Order: sequence, then structure tokens, then C-alpha cells
Amino acid sequence: MTCPLCEAPVLAEHAFCEACGHGLDAPACAACGAQAVDADGYCERCGLRQPTGRDEAELTIPGGAAGVTHKGLRRARNEDAMALLEAGDVTVAVVCDGVGSSPRADEASAVAVGVAAPALARGTDPAEAFALAGRAVAELGSSPDDAPACTYVSAVVSGGRATLAWAGDTRVYWLPHGCGPVTAVRLTDDHATATGEITAWLGADAGDWKPSVRVFEPPGPGSLLVCSDGLWRYLDGHTVPGAAVHPGGASLDLARELLRHALGCGGHDNVTIVLIPLGGQHG
Amino acid sequence: MGDQPAFTLQIDQNKYLPLDGREVHAILTVSSTGTVTTTTSVPAEAAEVIIVDTSGSMSGGKIREARQAAASAVQALRDGVSFAVIAGTDTARVVYPRGRTMARATRATRAEAQTAIGRLSANGGTSIGEWLLLARDLLDAHPDAIRHALLMTDGQNNESGDAFARALSACSGRFVCDSLGVGSDWVPAELRKVSEALLGTFDFVRNQSDLSAFFNRITQESMSKTVAELALRVWVPQTATLKFVKQVSPTLLDLTGKRADVNPLTGDYPTGSWGAEEREYHLCVEVPPGQIGTEIRAGWVKLVRPDTQEVLASGNVLAQWTDDLAQSTRINGKVAHYTGQAELHELIQEGLSARAAGHVDVATARLAKARRIAAESGREDTARLLDKVVEVDPRDGTARLRRNVDKADEIELDTGSVRTSRLRQGGEGS
Repeated sequence: MTCPLCEAPVLAEHAFCEACGHGLDAPACAACGAQAVDADGYCERCGLRQPTGRDEAELTIPGGAAGVTHKGLRRARNEDAMALLEAGDVTVAVVCDGVGSSPRADEASAVAVGVAAPALARGTDPAEAFALAGRAVAELGSSPDDAPACTYVSAVVSGGRATLAWAGDTRVYWLPHGCGPVTAVRLTDDHATATGEITAWLGADAGDWKPSVRVFEPPGPGSLLVCSDGLWRYLDGHTVPGAAVHPGGASLDLARELLRHALGCGGHDNVTIVLIPLGGQHG
Repeated sequence: MGDQPAFTLQIDQNKYLPLDGREVHAILTVSSTGTVTTTTSVPAEAAEVIIVDTSGSMSGGKIREARQAAASAVQALRDGVSFAVIAGTDTARVVYPRGRTMARATRATRAEAQTAIGRLSANGGTSIGEWLLLARDLLDAHPDAIRHALLMTDGQNNESGDAFARALSACSGRFVCDSLGVGSDWVPAELRKVSEALLGTFDFVRNQSDLSAFFNRITQESMSKTVAELALRVWVPQTATLKFVKQVSPTLLDLTGKRADVNPLTGDYPTGSWGAEEREYHLCVEVPPGQIGTEIRAGWVKLVRPDTQEVLASGNVLAQWTDDLAQSTRINGKVAHYTGQAELHELIQEGLSARAAGHVDVATARLAKARRIAAESGREDTARLLDKVVEVDPRDGTARLRRNVDKADEIELDTGSVRTSRLRQGGEGS
């Protein structure tokens, strides 16, 4: 056995290399296999920034709603975050997308969903939950030049209808159940310029924003699709089999299918997809 | 020792590489800040050796000039500083104080030293390496002090290149040495080697009346140091190569060859002693090809005290591969600026060598290009000196070498080319 850093011989029972002092119980690198991943998440032998649990994750809840998030194929980390909760007959989903030009955008999105989703599940008004998340994200910034930021969308499904609140370009669509191919119908309007730069977000540099709010009553059985731009940039003209939209059942297969579509189109950005059945026997 | 200043290390780079990108460039800005000033902090113990060239080539006006320079240097010493004066020929001898120990600076010892300096005359050979070795022996007796030497010479060294190189290597890391060129025909080449090996500056003073101000500045700078020796400890991945580590501000100094291995992936690069100041370094790492989206730490830089292993500041140099040309082709302003300053230095050195060797075409091309970079990067002084060596037609850009060049202008251009301009906020050179 040798030290992964200095290659001096070491004994299996030792905690540190006697030659260079390197700790010998560090996690193994995902790329080169050396037991040399440091506290910052870099391999001390090959340098690779280690993948984290957020790079690829799935969520399901008993009511049939499901979510997937993936870092995509072009980004070093996943700055999207999602939350999916059930409380009584209320289902809550929150999706946030870290603003790429801000520092520690992954922290911003994680904090926003972590604050907003439990508040919504307790029955907090969507605009109030948005404000709570906004304050929490603003506190991450030390100055307007160091202000982690993210977009925001929440969906609260209860009593057969959905209340949506959003800022930025994370979106909600309606996917109707049916026999033939169906296309997604957009329910939210982006806060963004014609060239795609967002004009509303959460963060210390965001100003005092109120989210857009909309109540949606489904025309029939289907699913709400809550997603980040990593998916919707590939939705134009895309259809899914209407039979795959289960108004009363498990949504994970369809969420995975949509993720495969996004990755197949290039996976340029982080992808987050949450599906909530609505208008069927449960919704 | 005085209070230790607080250090910060900032890294400027564009981490994005194209898919076939292999070279990662970064500028490290190291600042020591905090409350340290020469007036409020407890001064560190200091030891200073003044070395005067008394070889035959110095006879006449030059030895008078050197005596005056050395006397000014002694005058600038603060009370309590340990000091000695060495006269150098083909051997070295301590002319003040007597014996092989150093004196403590007081009004009386400064006057005695100046009397001894006044008696120096010029004859014999020149072995700069021998002088530095004697300075090292004297300074070694003061291990806790900020150790510094001041060398005055015409640079005409006649010891063997090997012996000189051995002496420089034996002194490297033991003390910092600044050099002063004496006379209007001194040779910068040997003093450049001293400055590179001993992390000091080399300079010349055109007007004798500016000497005291010059020594006041040099000794003040030396005595304002509060940390004796720091190193940049640089780690790169096992599959990467550290191509160079250069100081780029305030002067250019290539540290690549000064590496001391810490382990197979990590090496220490000496930076000498520090006071309250800011310096910048350019680091270049060659990395293996990477996958799209993958991010690696291409360099891990720590500012360390090699004696205690204490880490004073640290930072990451990153690399991430992308197929987005807008990201990978963005050039970091600081990297571009200092790459230009290094090129300017090389053009001046190559141009002056070609000119001395009679290669008119090469000299003209190099110096004319240097003239353009100097003007573009805000180096007005350098541009003015280049104008005295090369004439560029503003209408069509054609250049020709000037026939009569003042030797002092040429030396000033040669020695000054290592000084770099800073990058102003907003990206323009200054």
C-alpha cells in the first residue's frame, strides 16, 4: 500500500502517511480512485471536483408526484434545486434555478426551496413564502457584488386546482392526459427580456419583488409540469404520449423520459422536472 | 520580530478551456495589509552588509562614485541595525568593523564606517561570488534578522561562470541582495544574475545628487520588512505540469527554476522577505485533456512560512472544459496585461543584444515592436527611452535604429525593462 499523494509506503492501520502527513482515510476520487478527496471536494491527486448528490437525484411521494434533477452534460455542477412535499391533501413543489452569473448560485437555489416548500406545506400564502425565501437568499450575500441569486417557481395543488407563484424563467406547464401525442401548455409568463436575460430573481441584488401568482383549474385530467429552462428549452414541438400522463398514478417514468429527451438534445444546462398529477382521482 | 502583517491571496483567471485546451493561466495577487507601517510597528531585527567593488576597473571616477554611494548607504542605516562593509577584489575583506562580526549602527559607528570607506582605493581583480559568500557568512550569524546586502559595482566580473553560479546558489534563500550599477559603462548582465538568484533589484542612479534619496529608499524598504522569508507552495495534479511561476509585479522575476520539492505534486517557490506591500505572480499549468463540463483544481497555491509551515493565505486555480466559445475565448485582463509586459521585457533584451551584435534588422524589429507595446500599456518612461534608441515613423510605422545613443539611456532601458506597469481598474495599462 502506498500514500496516494507522495507514493511512500504506508501501513493499512495508519491514519496518516508518515512521509507527508496526508490523511489516509479520505474519500476515494470518482475519477482516479485515489483516497485523496479533500474537504473542499477536490481530489488532491488528479484535481477533479467531485460529483455531489445533487448532480443527479430523484424524488417521489405517495400521491404519485415525482421529480428528477440532473446537472446536464455541460455544467460542472447542478445549481437547480427542487422540493416536493405532501401535507394532508396538499401537494407542494418548488423549483429554483441558480443564476449562473452569481456566486454560489447552488446555495441560493438550495436555500430558497428549503425555506419556501415547508412554509407552503404549513399553509403559508404563496407570496409570503416567496418573500421568506427571498430574505433567506438575500442573507447569503455579503454585498451587491457578492449576491447569490436564483429564479423561483412554486405550485401548491389542493382541492383539484393549483396555485402558482414565480419570478424569473422557471416555468409551469399543463400536460393533458389523452390517447394520442400531447404537447405541453405553458401556464406561466417569464420575467425575462426578449434575449432571455431574466428580470426577476431572488437575491441580495434583487430589489423588493412580488411574484406573479396564478390559480389554475384543469380542464380535465392531466399533470402539472414544473421545470427549469434546462428542460423547456427543448420542449418546443416536443410531444409525449398522452397515455403516459397518469392523472392518478406514478409520474416518475414520464419525468425520466423528459430528462432523457433534454439530455438527448444536448443537456446544455441543469435539468429539473417535477410532475404532479391533477384532475384525476387524487387531484 | 515585528508584528506579522495579514496576507491575502487573490486569483484572477478565466477557468474555461476549449475542448482541446491544455494551458491554464492565472495571476496571483499577494498583499500584506493590516496595521504594519514603518512608524507604528515594532521594527524587526535587521542585518545589512554593504559591498563595495574596489577592483582595478573601478579606478578613477568610479571609485569616488562608489565611495560616495557606500557612505550614503551607511548614513541611511537606522540605529540598532547590525551592519558591515565589505571591499571586494578577487577576494573579499571586511573593512568595517574589524574582524568577522557586525557592528550595531550608532552615530559613532556610522562615522567610523564612513571613514573606513573614504580610504578605499581601486586595484585588483573582480570576483563578485566571493564577496557574496563573505556577506552570507556575516549574515548567517543573525538568523532571526531580516538579512539584506547592498552591492555596488561596475558589473565587470572576471571570475569563472561556474564559480559565480556556485556562489549564487550557495547564497540563494539566505539573504536578499539589491545591486547598484556604478559608472556610465557598467554591465547589467552579471547584476541581473545576482538579482534573479537573490530576489533583489538592480538599478543605477544617473545623477550623483540622487544617491542619498536612492539609498534612503532602498534601506527603508529593506528595514520595513517584517517577515523574513515566505514561499509560494504550489500543488498541481499528478497528470499536470507546472510550466512556470513568475513574479510579474512590481518587477519580472522568473521563479520556475527555484523550486524546492515538498512532495511529487507540490513545490515551494521562494519569494524573499515581506513588509506591507503587494506583488503579483503569473502561473501557468499544462493540464491533460478533459471532458466537457468537468471541473478540476489545476493549481492549489498557498503562501507559507517554510520555517514554521504556517499557511498565511491560499487559493485555487481552476480549469473547466466547455464547448461554449464565448466562455473559453474570453481573455482575463490581468493575464493579458502581464503576458504583454513579459513580452516587452524580452523584446527589449533581444533587441539590445541584437543591436550590440550588429544584427540591425532583428534589433530594429524587436525594439520597434517594444516601442508599440510600451506605449499601449502605459509605460511612458520606457517608451521615451526606446525613442532614444529607435526611431519609428508615425505615418507608416517604418523604424530605424538611431546612430548616437547615450550609454546611460541604453543602461536605463536595459535595467528598467524588468519593471512592469500595473493594470488599472477597467482594464487599461497604467
